Amino acid sequence: MRGVPLEFRHVTKVFANSQRPAADGSAEGAVNDLSLVVPAGQVCVLVGPSGCGKTTTLRMVNRLIEPTAGQILIDGQDVAEKNPIDLRRSIGYVIQQVGLLPHQTVADNVASVPRLLGWERQRTERRVIELLELVGIDPGEYGDRYPAQLSGGERQRVGVARALAADPPLLLMDEPFGAVDPIVRERLQNELLHLQEQLAKTIMFVTHDIDEAIKMGDLVAVMSQRGRLAQLGTPAEILAEPASDFVARFVGRDRGLKRLSLSRVGDLELIEPATARPGDDAADARQRAARHAIPYLLLVDDESRPLGWLKAADIPNDGQLTADGADAASPLLELRTTLKDALSMLLDEDVLAGIVVDRRRSVLGLVTVDELTSVLRLPDDARG
Amino acid sequence: MPEPEPLVRWDWLASHVDVLAFRTLEHVVLTVIAVFAGFLLSFGLALIIRRSPRTYGPISASAGIIYTIPSLALFTALVPITGLSLLTAQIALVSYTLLILVRNTVAGLQGVPAEVSEAADAMGYTSWGRLWRVELPLAMPVIIAGLRIATVTTIGLVTIAAFIGQGGLGFLITDGLRRFFPTMYVTGAVLSVLLAMAADALFVGAQRVATPWARTRTEAG
Repeated sequence: MRGVPLEFRHVTKVFANSQRPAADGSAEGAVNDLSLVVPAGQVCVLVGPSGCGKTTTLRMVNRLIEPTAGQILIDGQDVAEKNPIDLRRSIGYVIQQVGLLPHQTVADNVASVPRLLGWERQRTERRVIELLELVGIDPGEYGDRYPAQLSGGERQRVGVARALAADPPLLLMDEPFGAVDPIVRERLQNELLHLQEQLAKTIMFVTHDIDEAIKMGDLVAVMSQRGRLAQLGTPAEILAEPASDFVARFVGRDRGLKRLSLSRVGDLELIEPATARPGDDAADARQRAARHAIPYLLLVDDESRPLGWLKAADIPNDGQLTADGADAASPLLELRTTLKDALSMLLDEDVLAGIVVDRRRSVLGLVTVDELTSVLRLPDDARG
Repeated sequence: MPEPEPLVRWDWLASHVDVLAFRTLEHVVLTVIAVFAGFLLSFGLALIIRRSPRTYGPISASAGIIYTIPSLALFTALVPITGLSLLTAQIALVSYTLLILVRNTVAGLQGVPAEVSEAADAMGYTSWGRLWRVELPLAMPVIIAGLRIATVTTIGLVTIAAFIGQGGLGFLITDGLRRFFPTMYVTGAVLSVLLAMAADALFVGAQRVATPWARTRTEAG
């Protein structure tokens, strides 16, 4: 089932036992008059410092916590009017420590909600296999294992499979990748984005990590202390025009750099290099390279795959080109490489241009450091 | 000079196998009734504590006070009320199991990781469903550990129940002492120790069968 819209209307939560009067004498709210709409099939990331009420907000959606005031609507229906047990069975939920049932096997864990819903045994079994394959866990090898026998990343994948088991239109994820190391986290994030491309669920995702918010969100809701919505917008909007000092501080001084991770090499206009193949006429190649904005010649093979760079001045005036003395043709970028990764690869290799290649490693064009840094110049771009 | 009475007359044992078997069976029955009734009562109390944690203090304190009363004193104190009956013996035996069983059952349920309970709620388990299918299975190692201690303790206490005429292996001890017949009381004592050890081993086995997931933890890697 594809995603459905999720709407918060003036939602407030005050915890009875934490009613410390604020300076103005009113009770302190965990969430304060929150209104936002997540369109169907989009990922909305709630991000903010600890204690900003983002987890409380999430838990009000499936009524693990009841709001003090306001309404939450899923596909236009007020959750307060639904039976909480039925409501929860219709929403996928993934929490930080995953919360897999330790006494049940991987397959039984994934089958939890279908069993609660009373599905037939064969239908449940088929669904479990389908889902484990979807998240990249071999059902034959892992189905009968217990959670304690899995790695952190595997457990997280099983948690996602479990949340998807009854094909809910809405997923709630509370710091789902908080407990795994950065490399695994990166991979899981990419996998979730890839899954989301096929599934188009509506996802509400909680994190305290602004980089994760920018990467995962179609929408980012920055929350400040006491559950106030400081800014709601696309990652690009939040980075380009923070609505307040709080948001600017939270996003960080490096927001220009962060913007680089929002765009990909394919979004840029690629520069066509001067190219030639070994055996071509050297004089002609030398002339073309010398006239080029980057005074280098890119040697390619018959399949247009890069072989190496020749400096224009080093190319002989006559005879045929050879690959002798060519510099390594690196770094190689792909169209889907983020600008952030591209810039860091260029800086690592200490070169002015990266070679963009397609899947068969044929040259598509060049990306220069100048081009990348022009994206960093925020004000122009924000207005453009 | 008459030959001194030996510690064990093997010929007496051989000719009284049926008596020994009967008294052992009696002992087992008394123990099983006490532990079973004690567990039902403790489980009910643990559920009350689960609903309202404030009751834990008073319940645990009452069970603790009963536990400190010397067993022989408790048996004799009950005799004027309920007589030299099975009921008298069981009231005392059950009372002694409460402290261990209530505490372990509550500790077992409380030991369920918060994120597991939260995940169960979020998936749409009902409160009872969560108790039966999530909390109890996870609490099982601690509950079984409690049953193990309670059973071994009860096997010892049942021996004393013989003083109010309830049979069991304690009968061999009291009767043997009265008759200055070491074979009887030594056999009674040895058999009750063996019974306790057997019960202990049984629960260790039950533990392993009931918690297959706990075994795998060390194999992970």
